[in-house]
Amino acid sequence: MPGLIVNKVAPGFLGSVLSNFPEGLVVVSGSSGKSTTTKMLVTVLEAHGKRIFTNPSTANISQGLTSALLERASLTGTIDADLAVLEMDEGHGALLSPKFRARMAVLTNVMTDQIDRFHDSEKVLGYLSRIASRATETLVLNADDALLMRLADEIVPPAAPSTEAGSGPTASSPIDAPASRAQESGEVDADDPMSALFAAAHQPLASNRQEDPAGPHVELFGVSAAVLAALPRGLGYAETTPARFGGGTMVTGVSGRSASIAFDGVIHEVGLPARGIHYAVDAAAALAAARTLLGAEFDAATAVAAISAMPAVFGRGEIVTVRGKEVEFVLVQNPTSFQLNVDELEPGLDQVMVAMGSDVADPSYFWPVDASRIGRARIVSGSKAHDMALQLVHQGVQVDEIEPDLPAALDRFLDLPEPATGVKTIVFTADPMRRTRSHLGLAQ
Amino acid sequence: MTHRILQLFPELTNVNGDAENARVLARRLEWAGADAEVVPLTAGEPAPSFRPDAVVLGSGVDSVLARTREALEPLAAALGDWVSQGVPVLAVGTGMELLGHEIPLDGGTLQGLGILPGMATALPARVAGEIAVRSDWGVLVGYENHARGYRTYAARPMGQVLHGTGNGDGAEGIRYGSVFGTHLHGPVLARNPSLAMAFVAATVGDTIDAYAPGRADGIAEAINAAALRRLGVG
Ligand SMILES: [Zn+2]
Repeated sequence: MPGLIVNKVAPGFLGSVLSNFPEGLVVVSGSSGKSTTTKMLVTVLEAHGKRIFTNPSTANISQGLTSALLERASLTGTIDADLAVLEMDEGHGALLSPKFRARMAVLTNVMTDQIDRFHDSEKVLGYLSRIASRATETLVLNADDALLMRLADEIVPPAAPSTEAGSGPTASSPIDAPASRAQESGEVDADDPMSALFAAAHQPLASNRQEDPAGPHVELFGVSAAVLAALPRGLGYAETTPARFGGGTMVTGVSGRSASIAFDGVIHEVGLPARGIHYAVDAAAALAAARTLLGAEFDAATAVAAISAMPAVFGRGEIVTVRGKEVEFVLVQNPTSFQLNVDELEPGLDQVMVAMGSDVADPSYFWPVDASRIGRARIVSGSKAHDMALQLVHQGVQVDEIEPDLPAALDRFLDLPEPATGVKTIVFTADPMRRTRSHLGLAQ
Repeated sequence: MTHRILQLFPELTNVNGDAENARVLARRLEWAGADAEVVPLTAGEPAPSFRPDAVVLGSGVDSVLARTREALEPLAAALGDWVSQGVPVLAVGTGMELLGHEIPLDGGTLQGLGILPGMATALPARVAGEIAVRSDWGVLVGYENHARGYRTYAARPMGQVLHGTGNGDGAEGIRYGSVFGTHLHGPVLARNPSLAMAFVAATVGDTIDAYAPGRADGIAEAINAAALRRLGVG
């Protein structure tokens, strides 16, 4: 692909592009919420007139970043942007950590269920610790996540900027080598364009950035005690801190697609791109990061308006009209989002379809989710339809029909008469979501 | 009478949904016309004052192994009694390891409760994937994901591995008295109705028809038939 070719031909060219953002680099990582947090932060910074370089959210960060760079780089090899905000998968970010310094690292959370059970939470924490150790000015951390707070306690003053591409944490580190996860999934190889990019880009940051020898400043976000108490199953983090923090940027209320977020002594009403506590927490993270980055330039009203104007996210409770029928699409990517979304379903829905696809390698993954609130599934579909149905039946959900053929299931489900309660609701994992959009001719 | 199924430390042992086997068992009893209740026990709670009709101990991540061991400690005597009285116990993954004698870890060896004549062993590498096992209850099918094997002595395994790794020596799991130990994680009793029937029979004796088909057995059979085709195991 072009990105790979350009990187191979002139890695230094792209590397110098990335290292020359006048206001530095921001890295966003964590088990979940990093895409949304990145998008929100970019939106707020842009609303303040900043020109941002960011990577589109894709599974393969290398290709995404490389093609994004190519699209933005001018013929003279510069990108017309003030700072870069990059979302990084935790395994990939840890692998690259010896090769970059970031002005700010934003860490969203550590979720046990996101760890695909191939790694335990300590290993993911190790990855995030490596990323955090590259932050020079600020660490923006989730105060409700006990593992991240422990990490904050352990962060030592960052080492002097490395001059060798291979320096930084080594095998003597108590943390396992971070390469395993990325290599398992085939994301990293010797030709990795992002590795090449950072290898060339690790020269010291622009001179206007300060590096505090005492280590980065920690900026916190999280939820209030009342918000946490109202969540029947908590926040889903691997470990939640026993006490709520004071100050920082705090979600003090959430209702549907709006949240109350307090900072600098004022509570702001923020519209969210989708309902749910996690979007509110992502907004708090983005606001905390933006306030720190912008300093005196930050304007709360501008920031809140920017987030509130973000378009609704497909598959996150958005209602779409398909073939004249209103349908709500609910994407479940992991047990935590499955549980949260099921808990937020309107009770007594009489037209629900559930689809699980080949993206779920081991359906045991979802068994900890109590899906009983679904009540009745008209059709269970996807290539893992029987696995999903087995769980639903054991959890007391009435399953009318199992139809692994997704297009056939969708057609029959849409043809059912209008529901007596609520709207037709389709709960699906990522693979059936893609296939559903394609079958129904919805924009990708 | 209500059959009480003790679910040990679901907050530590449900990473793969293993603790949900307690729910599966309860459902199966309900479908056969019996009353059943899942009684979860949180780490730190003392042993219950009643004798449960069945016990489910699932698997957890290694970082909570020592905590799970501590939580089991006050139950050790009761668990040993229940096993000697024939109360069926399903122990999955690290649960099976903790009921055995010892677990080799990077930083040393963790002692188990010593209820089972078995011990965890080192494997060359973590294994993860589908597993099929020939057993007294037909071919058992499920998922395994573990970094250690298992060695038994003076006990039978659950069966012989047809596909996958299991204990690492061709056998899978352990059968000792009323204890069923296995690496098949997640809803092993839902996926394998014949094993569930044997477990129910051990739980309720002949008070109900333990071998009555469960409402979801046809679904499980469809999943397993597809898995066995995929794995080339017949
Ligand atoms: Zn992995």
